[in-house]
Amino acid sequence: MTARARRLGLLLAWLAALVLLAWYCITGIRISTDLRSFMPPAQTADQQLLMEQIGEGPGSRLLMLAIGGGEMDRLAQLSRELLRTLRADAHFSQVINGEFNADMLDSQWLPYRYLLTSSFDAQPLDEAVLADQLQQRVEDLGSPAATLLKPLLPRDPTLEVLALAEQWSPPKSPQVRDGVWFSPENEALLLVQTRAAGFDPAAQGEAIAALESAFASITTPNDQAKLTISGPGYFTVLVNASTRAESEWLGRISTIGFILLLLLAYRSVAVLGLAALPIASGALTGVAAIALMFGEMHGITLAFGFTLLGVAQEYPIRLLSHRRAGESALQSVRGLWSLLLTAIASACIAYLAFFASGVTGLMQLAVFTISGLLVAGFSTRYLLPRVLPEKFRDAAQTPGLGRVWEWLEALPRPRWLPPALLLLAALMLWLAPAPFWQNDLAALTPVPKDLLQREGRLRAALGAPDVRYLLIIEGKDAEGVLRESERVSPRIDELIARGVLDGAELPSRYLPSVETQRQRQARLPDPAELPAMLQAASAGLPFREDLFEPFLADVAKARTLEALTPAMYAKSPLGARLDAMLVKRGDHWLGLGSIIGMHDAQAFAELTRESNGAVRLLDIKGASESLVAAYRERILHAFGIAIVLLVLTVFIAFRDVHRAWHVLAPMTLATILVLAVLRFAGTPLSLFHLVALTLAAGLGLHYALFFERSTPDAAEARRTLHATLVCVISALLVFALLALSSIPVLRAIGLTVSLGVGFHFCLSILMARKGRARSA
Amino acid sequence: MWLLLACLPGMCLASPAEFDARAVVSGLKREVPARTPYVEVRFSQMFSRPMVTRGELEYLGAGRLGKRVDEPYQETTTIADGEVTVQRGSRKPRRIELERVPELDGFLRGFSALLGGDVAALEEHFHIAGSADANHWRLEFAPRDARLARRIKAIAVDGQASAARCFSIIEADGDASIMLVEQQAAQPLPQPLTQARLERACRQGSASR
Repeated sequence: MTARARRLGLLLAWLAALVLLAWYCITGIRISTDLRSFMPPAQTADQQLLMEQIGEGPGSRLLMLAIGGGEMDRLAQLSRELLRTLRADAHFSQVINGEFNADMLDSQWLPYRYLLTSSFDAQPLDEAVLADQLQQRVEDLGSPAATLLKPLLPRDPTLEVLALAEQWSPPKSPQVRDGVWFSPENEALLLVQTRAAGFDPAAQGEAIAALESAFASITTPNDQAKLTISGPGYFTVLVNASTRAESEWLGRISTIGFILLLLLAYRSVAVLGLAALPIASGALTGVAAIALMFGEMHGITLAFGFTLLGVAQEYPIRLLSHRRAGESALQSVRGLWSLLLTAIASACIAYLAFFASGVTGLMQLAVFTISGLLVAGFSTRYLLPRVLPEKFRDAAQTPGLGRVWEWLEALPRPRWLPPALLLLAALMLWLAPAPFWQNDLAALTPVPKDLLQREGRLRAALGAPDVRYLLIIEGKDAEGVLRESERVSPRIDELIARGVLDGAELPSRYLPSVETQRQRQARLPDPAELPAMLQAASAGLPFREDLFEPFLADVAKARTLEALTPAMYAKSPLGARLDAMLVKRGDHWLGLGSIIGMHDAQAFAELTRESNGAVRLLDIKGASESLVAAYRERILHAFGIAIVLLVLTVFIAFRDVHRAWHVLAPMTLATILVLAVLRFAGTPLSLFHLVALTLAAGLGLHYALFFERSTPDAAEARRTLHATLVCVISALLVFALLALSSIPVLRAIGLTVSLGVGFHFCLSILMARKGRARSA
Repeated sequence: MWLLLACLPGMCLASPAEFDARAVVSGLKREVPARTPYVEVRFSQMFSRPMVTRGELEYLGAGRLGKRVDEPYQETTTIADGEVTVQRGSRKPRRIELERVPELDGFLRGFSALLGGDVAALEEHFHIAGSADANHWRLEFAPRDARLARRIKAIAVDGQASAARCFSIIEADGDASIMLVEQQAAQPLPQPLTQARLERACRQGSASR
């Protein structure tokens, strides 16, 4: 077999292995987008509740819809049709548009109205109340609304159905026109609750797609009506999409630049393709390793992992730049291997700290990065040299490189510079504006301002609940929660009257406790006495004698009904609504009330004290920020251990304190400088900055290691410079572009890595290179 | 006065064949404010006997109507600026925005257009039909709006020459409300009070009993 055939065979085998790996990854792994699986275990009770409820609280699963543009008649019609379509769709647990809920007229549920209504709590349904009600009905029948009320009267002369409909409509409901909600801007409004959690972008994406296709199916091409969607779930989807779109767009540009750079550096298309193989192998192995160990991978792990794996692109570049005449690629790589191995080993050992963190997301990140780096490194060492073409251009001959080398060599290297820089960095960190950390992850992927304004407008128009606050009512069982909810209800009404909040939705508004239902049942008139009472009450009124038979039957039935429990209620048309407000947790139950328009969260402290903590306000934003802070603490611990491990590895590899210092000092100083510049510019740091700093440090380690290496001749020194320059420029190409992004999270990563690459390169040249001082 | 009509050549009816319903409507236009006492008789399947109420109607110009019930209970309904306000005894007044209930809006607009003699506005909401004989004419308005039509079959007006006698609202389920106005309101009600007798009284007028 010729050398060429052997090369080709090996290449094909490699590619085939990659295809198999890719197939395994695609079939064997599920990418999760639920933010919760990337979060650490909760520490406090509130955090625990948040972990369970994040995105599942009633407020965050709400989508607000507005149908605007066109005649009001048509908009109202569309609103009704959309409601019917969505009610049949399993993505949604609740759809309301202000329409009188005809389901409530279902015969099966109607008798329960006397157990659910609070109308007769103050004064029981006696002759006086009934006489007054019947007189009002006579008057109603003479009014323009007569035809609307007529169908209800025989069964429901006190109009309890309407009273309940009012009780169940949002506390501050919008204007009803033509039977459905309308905004002041003449849009038909709907409220939709998704079954999916609010911060699960994939599931929300499905729900929103279902919404849009439902709307498309009911509109005709002639319709000018437009559907507007707003709400936390929609924003999650939107922000994810725009972040992905922008990073893909920037990614394409930087890929083109990267290809041009490699072509310019190595003048070979074949080399370009081959150089991509180690990192592709590493990435696929990383994903496969996670598939094997976890079966599921978080989207954030994938994004962070690929970022960190960027270090591995250095390996083939080093090999390509260091090839020289009279030496096979294998021989070249052997000469570099000890340094590469030091870099790979120290990085892998450092990432072990992440594995030990105990947080699933971080463990996945460690598995991905370690296996990726190992495979990329070893395939560069053992496979890549065997498939590279024999013909190559010596990088040392690159025009102009010699002059750059001379210039760098001639740079002054004052010994006071590093301490001065350190002092400067310390000063900048000292003076940097607060806060140091960005705990609000949402701030990194902000929602466009006009959408937020629209959100505020629709939320106000619909009286939709606040996403930030949740009222927690604790009880030992569901009945206990409902009783507590009833007890606290008048207190909350007081708070509303005081202007502390605009409104609240409590579980007991939908379902009173069994105790209350039984009390109401007992107060209902005796079926034996009711006919006589009705006759007396309607004396002098024109009603037909047998007209109210259905009413008599319903009251009689209501007296014998078994009180509604949440389980029974779940089967009713409003079941899903209550279901979202009552959750069992461990040995007790929680009621989740939503708050509308919170003005003074402090005022709730009183309520919490009175109820011995059974009723309390959960600040979702506060709890999630404290969760992020706790998470970051764990990551920082992992980083701390990682740094110690890295330093130890470098010392052990060199067995020379002086040399190890020359590698570690520029890396450390550069990292501190990046931090100082970011902080001085007023950027609060987030997890994304930390990951980006780690990547930059990994790259910096390479620069320092290679510059520190003693080189046999000037040509080899130029090859080192060539490799480093290609690495630096390619990293800058990718990350400087990201730094220009309009999305803060991409900008955070881009800016941090770009600054890092710049500082690491400059400091490596100045500090790691054996300057004249040492060689003299 | 309430139904003070200018007797236009076209509507001073010569023969049934030439009856022009639109001309009659446009002739119903009158000066505002116009007031008339009324007697309303409601026939309903829900009632064992007709329900009689008495009070005063008021027309204050386009889209502005008032109805005051004096007997057997007190109630004032005001329709103005697209809003219905109902005040009963000493209770808190209730307000309904007409825009919220378009069918009611269409009904009241049509009714107001009828009192204002505005044919164009009336035709926007109703199909107009009519018939006449020597001393009586009857106009019938069927709602165009399908939702309203499900509730209200027609509004009918009976009258003679330049004066209306009765406004009838015939509901889709057969219930009817017949309102006697002007001089007809001052006449004693037929006894026994049935829908057929009352309708005959509207056709024949006070003079022809």
